[in-house]
Formats: sequence, C-alpha cells, structure tokens
Amino acid sequence: MIRGGRNYVSSPPVFSNDSKRLLVCAGNSVAVFSTDTGLQVASLDGHAALVTAVIVVPATSPGSKILCFCWTASLDGTIRYWDFAVPELIRTVDIKLPVHSMVIPSLFNKPVQTREKAVKVFAYISVEVKDASEDKSKVLFQVRKCNLTDAHLVGGAVLAETKKPEIITMSSCGELFGVRRKRKLDIWKVPSTDSGRTVLKKITLHHTKAITVMAFHPTQRILAAGDVTGRIMIWRGFGNKMFAMADGHVNGSSMIMEEENPGVRDSDDAESCTTLHWHPAQVNLLSFSSDGAYLLSGGKEGVLVVWQVDTGKKKFLPRIGSPLLHFTDSPDPSISSISCADNQIHLVQRPSMEIMKSISGIKLPYSHPEISKVMSSGASFDQNAGLVALRTESYAVQLYSLFDDRGISEVQVYERNHQPGDEVTIVVTSVVLSPDGSLLCTSEVRLPEEGLGNLVCLKFWSSKSKAGDFSLSTIVYEPHRDAGISAIAFHPNRRMAVSSSFGGDFKIWISNSGVPMKEESPANSGWICHAAGSYKKKPMTAAAFSPDGSVLAVAAETVITLWDPDKNLLLAVIGEAITPIVTLSFVGNSDHLVSASWGLKPQLAVWSLLNLSTCWSYRLHIEAIASSPDSSSFAALVLLSESAGVYDSNDISHKTVDGLILLFNSAEPNPVAVWSVKKARGGALAFIRNQSSDQENAADQHQAAQTLLAYMNADHEYALFDPYGKEADELSITRWGQNSLDEAGNFGYASLYGELLPPIPSRKQTPWTVPSFPSERPWETIFSGPSHNLPPLTLLCGPFLEALLEKRTTVVQ
Amino acid sequence: MAQTEQTTTAISTTFKVKPKLQSKPRNPSKTLESKYWSSFKSTRIENLVSSIPSIEFSPKSTGRGVFAAANSASLTFFSAQDFSTVSTISCSDVVTSCSFRSDGALIAAADLTGQIRVFTTKSRTPLRRLRSHTRPVRFVQYPSLDKLHLVSGGDDAIVKYWDVGAEAVLHNFQGHKDYVRCGDCSPVDAGTFLTGSYDHTVKLWDVKADNNGKKPVLEVNHGKPVEDVMFLPSGLMFATAGGNSVKLWDLTGGGRLVHSMESHNKTVTSLCLGVIGKEGGEEASQYRILSVGLDGYMKVFDYAKMKITHSMRFPAPLISIAISPDGNTRAIGTSNGSIFAGKRKVKKDDDDMEQDAEYGVLKGLGNGEEAQRRLQRVVRPGSFRYFQRGQGEKAKEGDYLVARGKKVKLAEHDKLLKKFRHKEALVAVLGKKDPENVVAVMEELVARRKLIKCVMNLEVEGELGLLMGFLHKYATVPRHSRLLMGLTRKVLELRADDIRASEGLKLCVRNLKRSVDEEIRIQQSLQEMQGIISPLLRIASRR
Repeated sequence: MIRGGRNYVSSPPVFSNDSKRLLVCAGNSVAVFSTDTGLQVASLDGHAALVTAVIVVPATSPGSKILCFCWTASLDGTIRYWDFAVPELIRTVDIKLPVHSMVIPSLFNKPVQTREKAVKVFAYISVEVKDASEDKSKVLFQVRKCNLTDAHLVGGAVLAETKKPEIITMSSCGELFGVRRKRKLDIWKVPSTDSGRTVLKKITLHHTKAITVMAFHPTQRILAAGDVTGRIMIWRGFGNKMFAMADGHVNGSSMIMEEENPGVRDSDDAESCTTLHWHPAQVNLLSFSSDGAYLLSGGKEGVLVVWQVDTGKKKFLPRIGSPLLHFTDSPDPSISSISCADNQIHLVQRPSMEIMKSISGIKLPYSHPEISKVMSSGASFDQNAGLVALRTESYAVQLYSLFDDRGISEVQVYERNHQPGDEVTIVVTSVVLSPDGSLLCTSEVRLPEEGLGNLVCLKFWSSKSKAGDFSLSTIVYEPHRDAGISAIAFHPNRRMAVSSSFGGDFKIWISNSGVPMKEESPANSGWICHAAGSYKKKPMTAAAFSPDGSVLAVAAETVITLWDPDKNLLLAVIGEAITPIVTLSFVGNSDHLVSASWGLKPQLAVWSLLNLSTCWSYRLHIEAIASSPDSSSFAALVLLSESAGVYDSNDISHKTVDGLILLFNSAEPNPVAVWSVKKARGGALAFIRNQSSDQENAADQHQAAQTLLAYMNADHEYALFDPYGKEADELSITRWGQNSLDEAGNFGYASLYGELLPPIPSRKQTPWTVPSFPSERPWETIFSGPSHNLPPLTLLCGPFLEALLEKRTTVVQ
Repeated sequence: MAQTEQTTTAISTTFKVKPKLQSKPRNPSKTLESKYWSSFKSTRIENLVSSIPSIEFSPKSTGRGVFAAANSASLTFFSAQDFSTVSTISCSDVVTSCSFRSDGALIAAADLTGQIRVFTTKSRTPLRRLRSHTRPVRFVQYPSLDKLHLVSGGDDAIVKYWDVGAEAVLHNFQGHKDYVRCGDCSPVDAGTFLTGSYDHTVKLWDVKADNNGKKPVLEVNHGKPVEDVMFLPSGLMFATAGGNSVKLWDLTGGGRLVHSMESHNKTVTSLCLGVIGKEGGEEASQYRILSVGLDGYMKVFDYAKMKITHSMRFPAPLISIAISPDGNTRAIGTSNGSIFAGKRKVKKDDDDMEQDAEYGVLKGLGNGEEAQRRLQRVVRPGSFRYFQRGQGEKAKEGDYLVARGKKVKLAEHDKLLKKFRHKEALVAVLGKKDPENVVAVMEELVARRKLIKCVMNLEVEGELGLLMGFLHKYATVPRHSRLLMGLTRKVLELRADDIRASEGLKLCVRNLKRSVDEEIRIQQSLQEMQGIISPLLRIASRR
C-alpha cells in the first residue's frame, strides 16, 4: 500500500542544525527533505495521528551540528524523540492527550554551567482535554507543562485554558513563550532553572481585535503580533516590571515613567506599542530576522513584507501566488522557508529574497463557485504512468505522481495573474487525461459580470516527449454555444474525444482524422469537430467510450444513448434511471455499463449492453466510479448519509468515516470487498497499473496484483492498494473482505444492507423480461421541435411516410 | 528538470492580456509561392477605349521600364514604375499586336488593315510600313536574337518573315488552314518560330529549312483553336493555350504532349513567363507559366511539378498578360478597356544590396581587420574597457549557452492593468484600434468585476465616444458580438443621460442602430436560407 498526497503546511517546518534538511509535518509522519535538491530523503513514521509539532534539538557547540535529534508531538497523544538521520525512534512519551502545539524552551536556553549532568527537559504543550465536570462532549484546550525526561505531565500546572487549539510561540533563546487568546496575549517567562514546581510569571497584553500570530524579538524585549484586520502591533519593553526582578536582561530604558507609555492599553506591562499597517487582510506569519533588525510578515494576499523594525520601511517579495502560512528561519542565515496555502514550501535565499527551490506537495482542494451539478472531483488519473491531474487555484493543472509522491509539472490552463483572495471569476471545470496520458483536455468557465462576458472554453493539450509536459494544441471557444460542459471523455486508442453539454448536445472531436495515438503526429495537428449529436434536446450529463472504442455512451438526463462514434449513428437507447445520471462507465471486458445518478433518489445502476436493460441497481449516493480496464470489476465510492452512518462507539478512527468503497463484479450485485474511508465527499477513485511490481517481481505475481486501486479523499490525500490482496489496511482504510465477514459481523453486509439500504430490495431485478427499446424511431426527430420551427406539413409528410415504410421493410427482412 | 520548472512556476509570472486566438485553416493556404504572387500590389488603369489585345514590356533592362499596350487605334506606353501614361502612338486602325525589338529601340505594331508599322520608341516616328498581308494581321514579333527581321501572321492564314529594312517579305509560310492568331520566336535559334492557328494546329517553322516555306518542321494538334503559344526559356519545350486548356509540348521529343492543364473555366487567352526565385537556379524551378482566361482567373503553373501553384481572380475577362523582364511588374489586359497592373515591393533586395555595398566599403578600408585585432588585444585592468570586457562576446562553438529568459513585453494597457488603473487601461486600448486587444482587456475587466464600473467612470468627452465608436464598429462582428452586444445594452442603460446630452454621442447611437438593423436583416435572410436548406439536408442524410 502506498500513501501520499499529504499536507505539508499544516504546521511550521523546521530546519536541521546544519540547514541541509527540512523536517516537515506531513500527516501522520514527518517528512525529511533535502534543502539542496528539494526531494524527500526520509520519513519518520510512527505517529498514529496528525503530527502537530516538530522541534529539532539545537546544537550547543559547533561540533554537535551534525546531531540529528528531534521531538515530535501528535494528536495521538504521544510525544516522540527521534534520530532523524537514521531515521529511528528513540523514545516515546505517552501523555494520552492530543497535543496541538509544543515548545521546549529549555533546549534553547544558553547552556548553564551546572554540574548536574541530566537537566530535566520540560515542554509546554497545548493539549485537548475533555471537560470532566460536564458530561457533554465539550473539549477544552489547555496549556500545560510536561516533564519529558520523566515522561509525565506536571500536575496542577494548567497555565491557560482556551476554546480553540492555540499555537504556543517561543522566543528564539527560549526565555519567553506566549499564547494568544482571542484579543489577549499571555506571556510567560521561563526560569533559567526549570523544575516541576516552579511557578511561572505571566503578563497579559490586550488588543482590540483578535490576534492571529505573534513573534518575539531575538535579543530585545520586543513583541510583534498580527491581527485579523492586517495590523501588526509592536510592543516594546513589555514585562519590564514583572520580569525585571528575575534578571538584568532588560536594557536600561525601564526608568521611563508610567504615564509615558504611548499606545499601551489599560495597565499592560509594556513601554510602548506601535502599529504597522500594510496588509489588507489577516496576518498569518510574523518573524524577526535573527539579528532582530527586520520583521517579516505575510498573509492572505501572498506578499512577504520585510519591515525595518526601527524605521518601519518595507520591502516586498510579491507574487508568491498563494496565501502565506508559516515562515521558518534556519541556523544558516542564508536560507529560510515559506509555507504557502497551496501546499508548497518555498526555500528562500535570505538577503536577496529569491526563491531557490520549491517543495511542492499535492495541490489542496480549494473552494470555487459550483457551476453546475457535475460529478467531478477535478481529478483525472493516468492509469499507466500513475499520474493524477488536479486543478489548482491559480488556473493551472498539477500533474502529481502517485508512486513518487511528488509534483511532476504544472500546466497553466488559463494565463492570468492569480491573486489569492480575489473573487473567483474563472473556474477550470474539468480536467481529463487520455488513457495513455499523452493528451489532456480541460474546460474552463469565465463567470459573467452582471450577465456580461461569460465564456466556456475547451482546450486540448498534447504532451510531446515526457509525461506531464503538455503544450496547448487547440482552443475551442464556446464549444456548445454558451452551455456548460458536463463531461469529457477520450477514446481509448484513437485521437478522439467527446464533450457533452447541458445545452442538449454532444460533440465528437478528432485530431489528425483519428489516426492511432502512438503514431508520430505532425506538429500542427489541431482538433476539429467531427460530429455533433443530440437526443430529444435533453441535457447531456455524462459520456463514456467503451473499452474498444466502438461504442459511445452519452447520458441524456435519465436515459443512456449509445452511438457509433465514427458514423454518428444512434445505436440504442437504454432507459430509464429515476434521476439524472451524472456519470457513466463501461466495465472493463464485460458487456456492462455502470451509471450513477444523484438527486433525491440516488442510484447506482448496472446495465447490460447485450439486452439493453438493467441488471441490478442500488439506491446509493455514489461519489465516484472506477472500472478496471482488464477485468469485469468496478469500484464505487459511496457516500454515507449522516443518519445512516456507521458509527462505531469506541474506535476513534471511525468517528469521521463518511464513505465506503465497494468493489463489485459487474455481473452480480454482491460486493466483492468493502472498505470504509474518511472524507469521501469530493473523493476520487481509479484503477492504476502497478509500476513497482512490474519491475521487481514480474515472475511470481498474479494477474490481479497488476492493478492497484487508488483512492483520493477530499483533502487530496491518497492511498494505493491492491483491491484483491489480503493485506489488512489500518486506519482510515479498513478492509472487510469476504473472509472477515464472520469476525466483524456488525460491519459486514448484514449491517450494510440493513442500515443503509432499507427501502430498496437489493436483489437482482429480473433482467431478461425487461423489453429493449428499438433504436430507430425517425418520426421522433422529424416532428421534434416547436411547431413554428417545423417545415410545412406537406414537406414532412413525405419523410414521415418514408420512415414508416423503411421500418416495415426492416421488419420483413 | 521538474524542479527547475517548479521554481519558475512558484512565483507566478506576469501574464499579458491575450486576445482570443484566431482560427487557422487546417492547411495553410498561403504557400511561399502564393505569397510571392499575391505580393504584386494591383492597381487598375481605367478609361482606355477598348479591349487590350496585346501588352508588351520593353526588353531594355536599364533605366525606367516601359510597357506598351495595344488599345484601339493607338499604342500607349505606360511607365512600369507608377503606371502613368508616358506617350501614345496613333495608328490608322485597331492595333492587334505589338512587339519590341530586343534592344527596345524599335516597336512593331500590327493592325486590322493588314499592315505592320515600325516606330522608334523614343521619338515615336514611323520608320517602316510593311504591307503584304491581305487580311488583318493578328500577330507580329521581333525574334529575340535578331534585330533585322520580323515574323507576322494574320487572318489570311499566311505566316510571313520580313526583312524590316527593305520592307520586303523574305518567306511566306503557307500551311495553316485558318486564321493565324499567335506565335513565338525561339529564344535559342534566330530563325525558328512557332505559330498557332484557329485550325487547332501549332506549327514550327524554320527559315533555314530549304522547302521554301511549304512544310513546317513540326506540327502539333492542340485540339482547340489556339489562342496563344509560347516557348519556354530552354527553347526545347513550348506551351500552347486554346479552349480551356494549356498544353505543354516537348520539342526534342518530336512534339510529344507532356502535360495538359485544364483548370480554367473559359477560354485561355494569353500565356506569359513568370520569374520566381533567384537567378542561377534550375530553369524549371525559376520560371512559371502564367495563363489568363476569359473567366477572369490568372493561374500560375509550375511546370517542374506540373501543378498549379497560385490562382487569382480579377473582376473582368482577361485577354493579355505580360511580365517585366526583371519579374517585378505585371500587367494584365482585359476585354473591357482596363489594365490590372501590379508591382512587387523590392525594397528589401535593395537594402540588401546597399548593405552589401557598405560592407564592401568597410572591407576595403580594412576596418574589419582592425576590429579583429582590437578584440585580440589583451584588456588590462584599470581601463574602462576592462569592466566591459566580454559583454558583447558571441558564444563560441561548444560553449554551453544559458539563454536569457524572454522578457514579457507589456503593452500600455497591460501596465495599467497591473497597476489596477482599469479605466485608463480600457481607454488606452480603445485608442490603439485593435479590436482583439480591446475585447481581451474587456474580458480581463469582467474577470476582475470592474467592467461596469469602468463604463460608469468613462468621461463623456472623448472616452465614452471612443467606446461608442468601437461598439458601433465591432458590436455586430460575430466573434465578439456576445460580449459586445451585452455591453452595448449596458452602456446605453447606464449612460443614457450623458448620451442624450451630447450631440456626438447621439450620432454614435444612430450609427449603432443602423449597423444593428443591418445585422438583423442579415440574420433574417440567413435564417430564411437555413429554413430552405434544412429539410433538404434532412432528406439527404436519410438516404
């Protein structure tokens, strides 16, 4: 099983002591990237839930720079200590409470020359606790102190309680740390010799807006905090009174009289408070440079601003293209990293502020206005190369390798300067890769301004040499007048594609008059419309080619029309689904067609092409369908409705299960295998040809292991697994094969059918008695359309009679 | 590789506002050759009295070129530079054919009375009058290698070979059974010539043959009355025109038919030789056969590849064609008294020549060598040149060249859009008069949700008028009409008061209304046509 597509920007990354490596919290593990190449070199696996904090043990002497130890904290309630060079888990501290943030100030304190060898290490953590006093499932978040050396929470030391998980921010020398609480900042001072019983001194600073981020000056008593409106407050000389007696770190300006504290609210313990305002929206990152001369800030608008702390002058690093989330300095002053909301981490060369390398994770889903009811998660898979094409917010398509877990390339679909935070006016609605991965088809919609200037574009791309390197071949403006495109499908082995529209027609596009794909094509091979078809002017909602390419199936709302793509002849009409069909798929080498429809009565139906009738159907809400190319099975991603959800009482991992993957053999309605998954809404499924097995052990593998099933959830995390294999997968994907039916009785089919599908008898409907529909009904097309559009009856009479006569003769023959 | 690509995409580059792409024909219609032939900028010389049966360019290659056009009872000389009338020679009757002597000093003109007159081209004084033909003479020509003789043919079916100085007929070639209408002298042999006649035959005559003009050396049958005949430059092949076809014959093969080109729809009236490509190429790759016909088409025939390479239509029946010896001027005579004269721009060649000349001068002075030496001189630190060393250096063979990234050239409206000065951008692009760009900027403004605001903010003076003028001109263009018609409605809605107040804008609206009315009329007639055709198509698809 291969997993990937994890979010790299959920927590700030950390540099190793020699700045050669970057430790990134990626889902349940910590990914270690090389800063030279930008490629992943190692992974720290072991946590069972999201890793929220990683702290590298700093080097105390130049010689110890090669030491590679780190602490990680996770939502699974453990704090672990690793050697990430090997990589190896050294010890685990189980505190049984989900940790949302952690700082270990004592690591950064200047080494005090003590005779004791083992100084106890204390961490300050933000944990999630269930409110014990009330019986509700209300959760509170507490800032607590934890003794890592002895592996226990320090009792009674609840420093603060918050409603939301808060990030603890620590000053670079580990002397101070703070937490924001809505409009307040709580700041504690860490005593130089920490022990379990020490009471920490605390001050509170107030502001009028909700504070989002804070940063400590490395050398002086200066604190910067950003708020939701985009302002940056800088408090100078905070805590002089409260912390002054502890040590003489503060500069001599503490003699200033109390009434001369400009900008400081109430009776806060600070000398002055000034405001910097440039950001139009919420400030997400704040960081002082290591010498304290500059302050870096960034926010939603994707511009890194470098402020001169003393003068307030600013420089910009604009056009990063995505909201900025975190900024991390490295021990090496020439390199630092910016985490962006589009799952990219940019490594920035410091003085020049140039982006040297980018670690690009899978593009995260983004919100865009729903154009129409199209069932497309925006993901399209290349079965052979194991690539997935995903839409990005900046009007591009990212090609991501599922096996290598890294981005291959990006194709800019629409050339426009994207400004994060702007109103979305251009939406890439669908992305489809051809079966061999050499062609790409995208459609985009420009939304109108007060009814002006809407446009639908269909674009064909072809890759010249290597996979993922696409260049634009053809643009079709308004392929179906102004109607939106509902589905695009490629012919399996020719340069042919079909696009169907809600305007009631579909068009078949060909390039090079349909020569086989493998042949070398001339440079200027454009795509032209080969044929157009419609069925009773009904909206065409889905389209698919059969595996051999001889039949094209187009769904006209509730019926499925079958066409000969070459001659553009209507072969047959299969009816009739209850609600409009949203997706169609031919099942591998069987003669079955799967359709899924949405609406009040969602349906998964399998149709037989031999007798043009329903084989069987379920009343299920289907999110995605994938059919195996070379067997007669298909997989469907089922959304569980909230009421009928399968909730397990004690297992934490089932709390968020909202979907099932069902693997069917198309001939029979009983699923072969079932997996339950999380975050299924907006997920995607595909069968992928197994690359690794091709190379390694081609001899002893059996046929089935050659294809893997890929599941990508709504957060674009994915897993590749062998649908026929016996491996039991942990956590979010749990396998219940037929062999495990007896053990897990309440998860098996009985509960599935009993709870999910009570209203529909899920038995096979008697297929053979359903009459098939004759395909040729010419009189329907003769009289179709409003009466004022029809030619005079005298003209119509001839063809009508002619049609009847033709019918008779065919019957006679 | 993938990593470097990512770093370039990480920082989003500045994209220009791009107009929608134009659709291209699948096979580009403009080949290099058709580009060449359509580069003749055509001007029409009007107001001539009657049809132009013959046009001849002066062979004199030096100085300003002149061409003579037979026109009613006069012979008019036109300048090949600006197509102005240079001079006119009046004759007694309708001139049918004319021919320059090879040095361009004399011109012979034949007329319907049956006489041939020879003039000097400079002073237009008649020098000789050759009288022997009893019927109208239709063809006269100076042999290209001979200054003393003339060949003529006429409606009396006799071909005559004249001694011009003595005004005497040397040979009478009798063999044609019908009117002789055309002929051509061999470019390689002074005494050999072809004649074509309405008896469908083309005969090759040789004055040196001793059968006293009774029998032609060679005879081919075109199959239709022959309108024109022409030797190809090698002298070994010739082309004949008659009926709808142009035929190509091989002389060395004993008059074998090589090819028959039948792409004209009406009678082909005249042939001429066109030059394409550089000197010194193979003959066939350099020359083309140009034919004109009564169907108004001029066709260019590549007789190396045996195919038509260019076709061009003129709005009149064409009866004569000639191309200047340097190949840069073309004149086509029509049957309704006008001449389509075309001249090719040869500026580039001239520039090349000038550059060559300059280069030669430089070389002569030895400047190039000195520059070479200067390059080799070692540049010492301390001089200004030391800081500039290597900047202008060209990459050597085998050097790894790091190409400088192409700079995006931003137009004025792009720069203004970048600064979010939306209205200024719209005004700027409206002033540039490129409709594609204007629509592209409008689309970008729509994407930014700023178009309506821009329209609201346009100043009444000038700016709104500019927009209204644009809408009047392009609102009905199908490519842009979906956006522009909606915009027009919005503009009229939003700025109704301003428009009412201004006289100039009212005029714009009136114009707009007119163009919309016209478009509606076109649409209606198109719909009518569609209504007629669609039942037919439906029945046709049924069969």
